Amino acid sequence: MANGYWRNARKRGGTRLSLTIVTVMAIALILIGKTQTTLFNSARAGVSDWMAPFLRTVASPLDSSRRWIGSIGDIFSVYQENLRLKDERAKLMQWQSRARELEDRIKRYQLLLHAVPDPELGKLVVRVIGRANHPFQQTMILDAGKANGIKPGQAVVDARGMIGRIFLTGDRTAWVIPLTDLNSRVPVTIEPSETQAIMAGNNSRMPVLDALAHNAEIKPGDQVVSSGDGDILPAGLLIGIIVMHGKEYRVALFSDQSMAQDVEILNFKQAPEKPPQPTLADLPVTAAGLPPALPPPPPVVAPQNKSADTTGGAGVTKVKPANTGHVGNVGNVGEADDGIE
Amino acid sequence: MGTKIFASVIPVLLGLLGAIIANIPVTVLGGWMPPPLLALMPIYFWCLVRPDLMSPAWTFAIGVLQDLMSGGPPGIWAASFVVMYAFLDRQRDTFAGLSGWGAVLGFATATLIVCTMAYTILAVYDWNLRPLSPFAMQFAVTAIFYIPAAFVLGFVHRRMVGPLRSDF
Repeated sequence: MANGYWRNARKRGGTRLSLTIVTVMAIALILIGKTQTTLFNSARAGVSDWMAPFLRTVASPLDSSRRWIGSIGDIFSVYQENLRLKDERAKLMQWQSRARELEDRIKRYQLLLHAVPDPELGKLVVRVIGRANHPFQQTMILDAGKANGIKPGQAVVDARGMIGRIFLTGDRTAWVIPLTDLNSRVPVTIEPSETQAIMAGNNSRMPVLDALAHNAEIKPGDQVVSSGDGDILPAGLLIGIIVMHGKEYRVALFSDQSMAQDVEILNFKQAPEKPPQPTLADLPVTAAGLPPALPPPPPVVAPQNKSADTTGGAGVTKVKPANTGHVGNVGNVGEADDGIE
Repeated sequence: MGTKIFASVIPVLLGLLGAIIANIPVTVLGGWMPPPLLALMPIYFWCLVRPDLMSPAWTFAIGVLQDLMSGGPPGIWAASFVVMYAFLDRQRDTFAGLSGWGAVLGFATATLIVCTMAYTILAVYDWNLRPLSPFAMQFAVTAIFYIPAAFVLGFVHRRMVGPLRSDF
């Protein structure tokens, strides 16, 4: 009896000692993880690289089954959905025409103003091979990594809008932090009021708006795009629209991360695009229906004895033809030409 | 001898397997439900019935794997599992005596401790209170999944690990 008591007490003491040791180790691990994130992230990237072949194999049938399960409810609304889509298509055709017209106009204005063009975005289409939903983090795993030039911070979009951004890259896989994740913070612009805000994920389908000014004039239906602040993401990426959720504004995302199978990764850090060379059709005069400017006539050398009559003063020997009032060469736009040398 | 060694490592292997299976980034339900903490079930079960086979060190190792696979800040699950182990170590007689729905409630209590610890550590880690709902959801899913898992663990314990109870 006594022996059993002492044996149990010794074992309990050993357990307590090991508990103390592992508790200290756990606290040390948390502190190390806070300061040395690279170490743990490298291990994670290694694990996802190692699992990539398995994930590629199972991703396709699982995606198909998930889509099939998700579409069961749609069977009962096919007719109404078809009518709605036809109506939407007719409206979109009108908008397409309008958009092309505006695009041409913006291009002409940019030429006139020598506007710095938007940076060129390199795109890479990759496949989603994994998804996870944990209390700490929602994740998508993509079938491409450092070997394909993917870097942390790059935006991930689908055909409808932004899904998230890359936060971890392995050699052959990359982890995406979706916009809906708790850790996601994206600077956004709300159009048309140009209100700036931070869109914060909260693990629900509709992220919230943080850092919104009290007097911000926004309303449901306003469009939310990336602001490009901080030079992390390109400006103007479509994200969603404002909706009212209870008493607060939320963002209904255009993209659907749960259904996306192939996504695009945007490389924002490429060299800025050079301005396109203008053609004759790009000139404002041509667009306005006016004839293009004639080439300037050869300079006229006035006789020396009549110079005073033409200029009203001595010392001027050469007169250039007067400016025609419209631009003859876009390269000279903005350069003052007083007509006298 | 080999069979005995294999039987003694089964609890740890099941814990590690649970961490891997629960965190494979594949979802059929579109991600609306978090995965259950499968790694916690073998820890709880053998911490009560054979603590010599599920030591604090192994609990810590399984927690580290859970941290690695789940993508969260490192050390949070490891610390939470160790705290739960310490609690069970003190209350072993009470929890080991539970059966039926009582056993499920006992596991739910342990899961609640783990999720509360994880939430608290994360709040301190980020210095920011996060929404409770993801943790509540994971607690509920894990507690419900323990009902079928308890039968499997019981079967494995009786047939493979061995019915011997340690001296605790």
